[in-house]
Amino acid sequence: MVAMSALRAAAAFTARLNPLNRANQAAHLLSRAVVRSEQVAVRYGSHGKRMFIIKPTDFYDRRFLHLLKYYVLLTGIPVAALVTFVNVFIGEAELAEVPEGYEPEYWEYYKHPITRWIARNIYDSPVKDYEKMMALVQIEAEKSQMRQKQLEVRKHMREKGDGPWFHVETLDKSLIDQGHKATPDD
Amino acid sequence: MPQDYDKDAYPEPPRQTPVVDKQTVLPNPALILSNLFYYSVDLPVTTFRNAIDSIRSKNKYYYYHQQFRRVPELIDCQEGDYVCYYEAEMQWRRDHKVDQEIVKIVQERARACQQREGPSYKQNCAKEFQQFKEASRAYQLRYGDLGAYASARKCLMKQKERMMAQAQNA
Repeated sequence: MVAMSALRAAAAFTARLNPLNRANQAAHLLSRAVVRSEQVAVRYGSHGKRMFIIKPTDFYDRRFLHLLKYYVLLTGIPVAALVTFVNVFIGEAELAEVPEGYEPEYWEYYKHPITRWIARNIYDSPVKDYEKMMALVQIEAEKSQMRQKQLEVRKHMREKGDGPWFHVETLDKSLIDQGHKATPDD
Repeated sequence: MPQDYDKDAYPEPPRQTPVVDKQTVLPNPALILSNLFYYSVDLPVTTFRNAIDSIRSKNKYYYYHQQFRRVPELIDCQEGDYVCYYEAEMQWRRDHKVDQEIVKIVQERARACQQREGPSYKQNCAKEFQQFKEASRAYQLRYGDLGAYASARKCLMKQKERMMAQAQNA
């Protein structure tokens, strides 16, 4: 007990000597200790410890966004690079008057090189499309004319009663009984 | 560089660059700002453009405007000749598009004139406005209320109605 009080007195004495020394400060010493100016009294909710924050899961959201970015950029970046290189190195066409005696190909009526490529390799020429449509129109017109004719022919044959469609077969003559008293009027 | 526009349709106003008559020692902030703009925006953009153009100028190629042949109109088609109807319809559609663009160009000229002349546009732009009025009136008479599903037949019927109304009024 006496030793404790002596120790305490010694600690108080050393704290008085060098109050800034961390080791000399003790909460239970009633010493006029100096608080270090760098050690400001910040209050962490977690007392300075790194905590595991409890919040609702963002795993699914982050996974979705990650996959979205991945799949969009998977073809997005090559397409963007392709379009950039085409625009920089090949570039758009310039408008010019049609030279004399020269018939431009059907893809040479477009400006952008990718449009020209699509028109040349993928689409049919507009002339061919036009002709295809005209052929369809012609076929349908002929069909409708055929149907009209058929209806009219049917009408005439039914009216007259003797066309091949409304032909009533006459009975075989040998089946008729021509004998006496075969019909009531005889 | 992009194609130059028609200089007669869009005349440039006379340049009004004032003679530099500096009377103070202080720097001119407008000059400073214009130089700043030039060095930070104009010069990089122009050098980039020239670089791209030098790459491009090695293989130039051209595109043309297509000229379509005239085919018989809807009036000149026999009744029941559906192929003729189709060709007349396609020609009518092309003409419709061309007429829309014509009206747009005339409108653009009137707007440019109004912008150029400022407050005195009513006197100075009379010609452009007259042109626009005529063009839009003609367009309205011919293609006016045909609607979204306009076709050559409907346009012809509209014209017939107009002619009948005119004959009745006369």
